[in-house]
Amino acid sequence: MRPIILVPVIVALGVASAAPEDPAFRDKIQPILQNNCAGCHSGPKAQAGLSVTNLAELLKGGKRGPAISPGQAGRSLIMQFVRGEKNPRMPIGGKALPESLIAELEAAIDSMKAVGETTVAGKDHASWVFSPPVAPKVPALRGASSIANPIDAFVLSKLEQQGFAPAPPASRRVLLRRVYFDLIGLPPTEAEARAFLEDPAANAYEKLVDRLLADHRYGERWARHWLDLVRFAESDGFAIDGERPTAWRYRDYVIRAFNNDKPYDVFVQEQLAGDEMQRKPAVRGGQIENEGILALGFLRMGPWERDANFDAQLRLDWLNEMTGTTTQAFLGLTVGCARCHDHKYDPIPQKDFYRMQAFFASTRIDERPMPFLESEGRLEMRQQVRRLEDELEVAQEQVKSVERQLQAKLKEGNSLQKALADKDSPLLTVGDRKRHKDATEQVQRLTLDLARYQPIAYSVNEVAPPAVMDIEPTFVLAGGERSAKGASVEPGFLERIVGKSEAAKIGYAGRYRSGRRQALAEWIASPANPLTARVMVNRIWQHHFGEGLVRTPSDFGMNGDRPSHPELLDWLATQFVEKKWSVKAMHRLMLTSNTYRQSTRHPEAKQIAESDPENRLLSRMNWIRVESEVLRDSILAISGGLNRQAGGPGMFFRVKDEVAQGFQMFKWYPSDEKAQLRRSIYAFQRRSLPMPLMEVFDAANMSESCSRRSVTTVAPQALTLLNGELTAVEAQRFAARVIELAGADPVQQINKAFALALLRPPTGAELERARTLYEGRRPEEALARLGTVLFNLNEFVYLE
Amino acid sequence: MNPEWNRRHFLYRSLVGAGGLALMDFLNTDLMAASTSPLAPKPPHHPARAKSCIFLTMLGGVAQMDTFDPKPALEKFDNTVLDWSNEKRTDQPDLYAKPRLILKSPWKFSKYGKSGMDVSELFPHLATCVDDMTFVKTITGENGNHPAATFLMNTGLVLPGRPSVGAWVGYGLGTENQNLPGFVVLPDYRALPFSGSQQWGAGFLPASYQGTMMQWKGDPINDLRPAGQLSPKDMQDQMALLREYNHAYLDGNFTNPDLQGRIDSYELAFRMQAEVPGVLNLAKENEATRKMYGLDSDTTRSFGTRCLMARQLVEKGTRFVQLYTPSQSWDSHTDIVKGHAKNAQEVDLPIAGLIQDLKQRNLLDSTLIVWMGEFGRTPDHPADLRDKAGRDHNTKAMTMFFAGGGSKPGVTVGATDELGWRAVDKVYRMRDVHATILHLMGLNDMRLMHYHAGRNMRLTDTGGVVIREAVA
Repeated sequence: MRPIILVPVIVALGVASAAPEDPAFRDKIQPILQNNCAGCHSGPKAQAGLSVTNLAELLKGGKRGPAISPGQAGRSLIMQFVRGEKNPRMPIGGKALPESLIAELEAAIDSMKAVGETTVAGKDHASWVFSPPVAPKVPALRGASSIANPIDAFVLSKLEQQGFAPAPPASRRVLLRRVYFDLIGLPPTEAEARAFLEDPAANAYEKLVDRLLADHRYGERWARHWLDLVRFAESDGFAIDGERPTAWRYRDYVIRAFNNDKPYDVFVQEQLAGDEMQRKPAVRGGQIENEGILALGFLRMGPWERDANFDAQLRLDWLNEMTGTTTQAFLGLTVGCARCHDHKYDPIPQKDFYRMQAFFASTRIDERPMPFLESEGRLEMRQQVRRLEDELEVAQEQVKSVERQLQAKLKEGNSLQKALADKDSPLLTVGDRKRHKDATEQVQRLTLDLARYQPIAYSVNEVAPPAVMDIEPTFVLAGGERSAKGASVEPGFLERIVGKSEAAKIGYAGRYRSGRRQALAEWIASPANPLTARVMVNRIWQHHFGEGLVRTPSDFGMNGDRPSHPELLDWLATQFVEKKWSVKAMHRLMLTSNTYRQSTRHPEAKQIAESDPENRLLSRMNWIRVESEVLRDSILAISGGLNRQAGGPGMFFRVKDEVAQGFQMFKWYPSDEKAQLRRSIYAFQRRSLPMPLMEVFDAANMSESCSRRSVTTVAPQALTLLNGELTAVEAQRFAARVIELAGADPVQQINKAFALALLRPPTGAELERARTLYEGRRPEEALARLGTVLFNLNEFVYLE
Repeated sequence: MNPEWNRRHFLYRSLVGAGGLALMDFLNTDLMAASTSPLAPKPPHHPARAKSCIFLTMLGGVAQMDTFDPKPALEKFDNTVLDWSNEKRTDQPDLYAKPRLILKSPWKFSKYGKSGMDVSELFPHLATCVDDMTFVKTITGENGNHPAATFLMNTGLVLPGRPSVGAWVGYGLGTENQNLPGFVVLPDYRALPFSGSQQWGAGFLPASYQGTMMQWKGDPINDLRPAGQLSPKDMQDQMALLREYNHAYLDGNFTNPDLQGRIDSYELAFRMQAEVPGVLNLAKENEATRKMYGLDSDTTRSFGTRCLMARQLVEKGTRFVQLYTPSQSWDSHTDIVKGHAKNAQEVDLPIAGLIQDLKQRNLLDSTLIVWMGEFGRTPDHPADLRDKAGRDHNTKAMTMFFAGGGSKPGVTVGATDELGWRAVDKVYRMRDVHATILHLMGLNDMRLMHYHAGRNMRLTDTGGVVIREAVA
């Protein structure tokens, strides 16, 4: 029931040069054809040479000519056939399509935008995606617009074509807030804010960017983006949802990788073949430590059914998951779609899925001994273990002592264990039971904690030597079914990219190593790979600008979005390789562009929005709502509660008693109060028990690779942020802090509250209104109410 | 955020921004609602039979041959060996490697109602409702493990991460009452379902469609009341100030349509604070009703209270309510006599009460009740456990029932073999149950889809079959 008034807007969309594949086709037409026609009209033996698997094929048509005329259902062959106006009526030999479906098809074809754009885009897209990027010429601009670097030239030239000017630069304050949240996920302190706002140097902003990139909190912020993508979790999921006590070491590895600006090609290789790499990773400015074994945690991060009945099926599920996530995360391709059949949209035959999977055929799960690195705080870890072992010993003694005392209370011949097990036994008092429970829980808690400090890497290994030669063959499985074995395949790269379907050349990778993963890693992390660099620079762009140049960051295929600025994307991708895959170099490039420094407001925003409602041309900066982690961390930072302790095992947040008790397969012991105030990236990631605030504010769901979080606005978010415990506690802490900093004068207090939360003084009207909170309230109460309001403001949760 | 919403938001905001407040009056409320809430009611694909659904989840798996699918042959073959050696697809090879013996049902069956439906002694109260119920005896699964089978039942796939039925229904239809969540989950806090909220998650759908877990003790919704010590005046003052500051911030910032959406979400939250406690007020029910749901007995109070909450929610326009028994409660591998009796006692009276109550309020026609577990159980058990015999997991057959909401009352669909082991006549899959639920709620399972990870995803994947025999 689309309101009629919207139609002109949608049609106008077609004007935008970067039209995505027609949504009417994708959402309406394609499914109908898929269900009713693709049985005969697809694949190598498509009837009449017509394949209905994608729009390009339909426009090309079969032996009768183009099957669809976009915008003109009446002239579309497909309509004439399904209506029976042409013989034979389709679907041939079956019942006619129901009238409602025919009507739907007709309406959808009518609503498609005219030919031209999509046809060319469809054909060009494949050849673009699957060929390596070549640095395009930086466009020359007609106008006198100022450019800070080539990014601006690419963006402005598109704007010029449409006759639009860019937005004015954002104010210094807005820019300050934007870049802090973007790079370190926290607001600046007052001193940090002043340092920038009062810096007279012409390159004050560039200096700020450098300072933030060197700040270790940058890694804590940007690792989160990567962890979303690799479905990071510290538990298995499924029934037992067992803990992965040292999975945090992978999390810290990612944080270090970003902080040390580990070259992205090395980063990729380590995660796929950290144990096989012959090339020593070069880390700029830091000591060289071999973290490859930790990096392999990537391959382990999927859900795992610990009590599965079918070992063979479990392994297959694991291999499938790994193949799918690897291709999605690094290549931005949905190769996983080809598990059961040839990919319906992309040129990826089913065989390719299994050829990719074969790279992992020699891989097995392994908890590998791996001493703590210097950068992991080797000494501290050892101290922790010693402390926990001591405490555990004491706790075990305590249990014994309690049991001795209780046994003494019981008469001879009564079993203490039996009395404890029987809840109704009159032999023990409530107090007795509690003492025993407290003592045993302390042992449990310490045992769990101790496991988290063991020098173990949650990792993978090759099948046990010397069995390397016995690697299980990989088969193409019809329908993805384990029992439906087809042809056996060798490891091989995607045919559409390398141009042929042959076995990959596997180099020597050391004794007892098959070298398969190394071969895959080198192929992916290569400048010659058409996707790797493009996909990663697009991800970086996405997090800076709110949307990628390709808005389906893990699907660069035919069904994915078309790039709004293909030349810019290619230029960035070639720069990325040229700058030795330095992620920080990419940040610097993007952040110092004028495009990034634009305001979110534009004097002609309304006119521009008529032809570019989604701001694909970047005539202004996009609004960005801060993510759940940033929201929580910022509130803590502003209230002064934030515990900056970095790295190490995660913290366990408090959960409601009834929820904690409902989980029977594991025990959940909240960390101490102070530890609970650590940054959100250090919150323990249990698949069945996400932090409620994260869950309600659209955090990644931990089970599947998440390349783009949804941004929903629902009432439970308001309830959580207004009424939840975080706000209640931190608003009070905030109030006390404000009084401490500002003294007793209400005006000073309000000014300070605004400065801390919003980096600006209140307007006259805001000040007056805030003062009314002091009526009938003590200052700390008034300020706690004001703090609650500030934490909930649109201005607080959105970045301009 | 999908482009469609962006456009709608944009239009909405640009009209307001253009000073066109008067113009807004001409727009239909549909557009207004659509611009502000992803949960606004949406038109169905075809006329709906059921407006709401109450899904009663019997976790652990109920033995069909002890409840609704009598098998006299079990008497005959009791204590004899059932041979599994020819079974190619066994779910739990370890379990079936040991010698096994057939177990006759410990409970007697009788025929009830005009329809002459078979019900065992376990369900004396439900037995009085059979003329309003539709039994399907031939649901088959894919995986005999609890979590995987529960995922299959809830999301159509044995792996975690997909949207649940309730989320899909919300995605397709929105919900009637904007002051209440559209998809409510009422688990049993004694033991939450495996994988917790992933069982009612939104998966790749926007988070707005995820299930909201409600408690039946204390506040029903998280954070409905402030965690701190706040007076009503404190809350009002906060809200008033927030509203004012946020409105001031709208000026000049119309390029962000979500600013208005977020203001609206606070207004809704504020209304929910006022409305939810009133809606879910068990105290206002009269004594007879409370008794009908078993609120007067320790055995039935937990499930009964939640059945009553479900009725109150449905009455107020909540789209989908899902109840759970405690995790693995029905999982009687041993001592089924004790286990099944206990579980049946906890739910029998409350469910019968729910059906009768909905009926007397003329809500049964528009409310679809679905009753099922994640799989059925076997006719036999390991021989070494004869003295405390139970039944094991069985994905080859399960009995489920519908009531109300356009299901066909008083019929039985499908048949199992003489032992109740395998479905043999009119065999259906879990996804067919999903297709049927969607169908009765006005949705076509092939057309309900969401583009994700390179393709259009559906609850029923490549499509389910509507169980026509069960549809009135």
